[in-house]
Amino acid sequence: MSVNTLESPAAGARQASLQLFHDVQQLLYKDARLLDEQRYDDWFELMTEDFRFWVPVPQSRYRRDSKGIYEHGRMAHFDDSLTELKLRASRWKEATAWSEDPPTRHVHYVTNIEVEPTETAGEWLVRSVVISLRNRNEDEENWLGARREDLVRETSAGLKLAGRKVFVTQSVLMAKNFNTFL
Amino acid sequence: MADILQASQTSPAADLDYHRLVDVDNGWIDRRIFWDEGIYQLELERIFARCWAFVGHESQFADPGDFVTTYIGQDAVIAAKDRHGNVNVFLNSCSHRGNRVCFAEAGNTRRFTCNFHGWAFGLDGGLLGAHEEEHYANCATFDKSKLGLHRARVGIYKGLVFATFDAEAPSLDAYLGDYRYYLDVLLDNDAGGTEFIEGNVKSRLGCNWKFAAENFVGDAYHAGWTHASAAAAIFKKDVKVNVERSYQANVNGHGTEFGLDLIGNAMGLAEPEVVEYLKENEARFAERLGKLRSRMVGGMSSSNVFPNLAYLTGFNTWRTWTPKGPHEIELHTWVLVNKDMPERLKEAYRRGVSRTFSPTGMFESDDGENWEHCTRSNAGVVTRRQKLHYGLGMDSRIEHEEFPGAIHKVQLNDANQRAFYQRWADLMSAASWAEVPER
Repeated sequence: MSVNTLESPAAGARQASLQLFHDVQQLLYKDARLLDEQRYDDWFELMTEDFRFWVPVPQSRYRRDSKGIYEHGRMAHFDDSLTELKLRASRWKEATAWSEDPPTRHVHYVTNIEVEPTETAGEWLVRSVVISLRNRNEDEENWLGARREDLVRETSAGLKLAGRKVFVTQSVLMAKNFNTFL
Repeated sequence: MADILQASQTSPAADLDYHRLVDVDNGWIDRRIFWDEGIYQLELERIFARCWAFVGHESQFADPGDFVTTYIGQDAVIAAKDRHGNVNVFLNSCSHRGNRVCFAEAGNTRRFTCNFHGWAFGLDGGLLGAHEEEHYANCATFDKSKLGLHRARVGIYKGLVFATFDAEAPSLDAYLGDYRYYLDVLLDNDAGGTEFIEGNVKSRLGCNWKFAAENFVGDAYHAGWTHASAAAAIFKKDVKVNVERSYQANVNGHGTEFGLDLIGNAMGLAEPEVVEYLKENEARFAERLGKLRSRMVGGMSSSNVFPNLAYLTGFNTWRTWTPKGPHEIELHTWVLVNKDMPERLKEAYRRGVSRTFSPTGMFESDDGENWEHCTRSNAGVVTRRQKLHYGLGMDSRIEHEEFPGAIHKVQLNDANQRAFYQRWADLMSAASWAEVPER
């Protein structure tokens, strides 16, 4: 994978080149496809070892409230290291994971991609929108939309995801479970 | 007016024989109780509008003005701490046109002002004033002292805040009765008391609320099979129940199934520090709880306080099954920790519970699947005629020198579930609290 992240001398600040944008976009599409195909081991290969995955539960609070909709330290859907995510996914590989058999049919739809520089050279803030569509058994269907902020790092092995924050819109998850990642 | 309000008294559901629908003596349950709209409406009246409902933990009300919104049955309520330090619980529905007066799930405020006409209510639910109140100058029925939001009785047990709308209900202490012995396992194992970690996880399940409640009140049996994949991933082996040293205990429909293994549930968190904490503090727990109960603090167990508050020792998840109709619930889950626990341990519980007992969790995702389809299958009229088997452990009752309540040997048992449904039938059959027997 090409890692073309040359600073733009004309603008005087680092900007994502078209090539980098393309590479980031391909990374996010691959990420989504691997989740759709439930290839979790391959999905984990997209992450750096220090990857953090945070999916807070939004709270419905008044605008005047000093506390925010999303805050660290609260109960979260996910607040995991890569090792912990692997532990979660390992359950899905068991033949006794009854609620995964027959398998859920997944679509992860990724759009609204923006690539912005960070303070650190070789690291990019990538914003996107993801929509998870799940269909199970005969007629069970669940949608979940979210805004995402990824930290994408240039490594010798190409672009990797070094962190992901997922801001879902549902305060009450309108489903019995959430059996994928975002 | 009164006739309309009392309509349910003449509804067909009020005339059903609930002790036949749940035949606890023989261990059979009629599936209509999981499906029928009329029965559900009567549950809202005779179970949820009567019993003590969990509304929050005192730690959620640290400062005056702190509030949460929640539900008692399908009645939306606000729980708010006033300037005197009392937690008040009242309906979240304006006394003018009935609009919801608070849309935030939590926060801090001085008043709750209705969006519709600006009627403003205080932290005790009292009507403080209204927009352009002068229009009411000559309105004889505009008596602010009588137009407050309808209040519930509030009771607190070791940090847990409960409320009931029934003036005749027994006191909270009497309602919990001897079950307090078991509640203390988590609520009183440390001198510093407990708190909730901030926030909770909320989800919707397409199931009857009783399938969730009965699962926690006494279904140790499902754990080894339903949760085999989570156990294999976390423990790398099957989990077996100790047949000699495990029990079910129930009091008035509240129930717990438990082993005396100290760490059985806690191991499931996959947070080694939590297991170490339990082992290191076993003697300290025993000073407060006695030797036997100290072995329950993180042990293999599940529990449900009638009707719809459940918890797991070891995981320290607390949850409510709030009905949203006969075939839907909203599940709220919190994490309870000892206040004086080191921060990194609280963090281990917070993240561990998310990984195990939340909608994304390794254990919980299989439960929802079961409960939904136990409910949905009853859409079939022929299916609905087939009674369900609750006959495990019919002769398992024992006397125990220490444990209060009705005790059954071996936690793999339907005894607590039968006791839960007996209490349910008692309440569904009773026209008033005076008719409800002690069990």
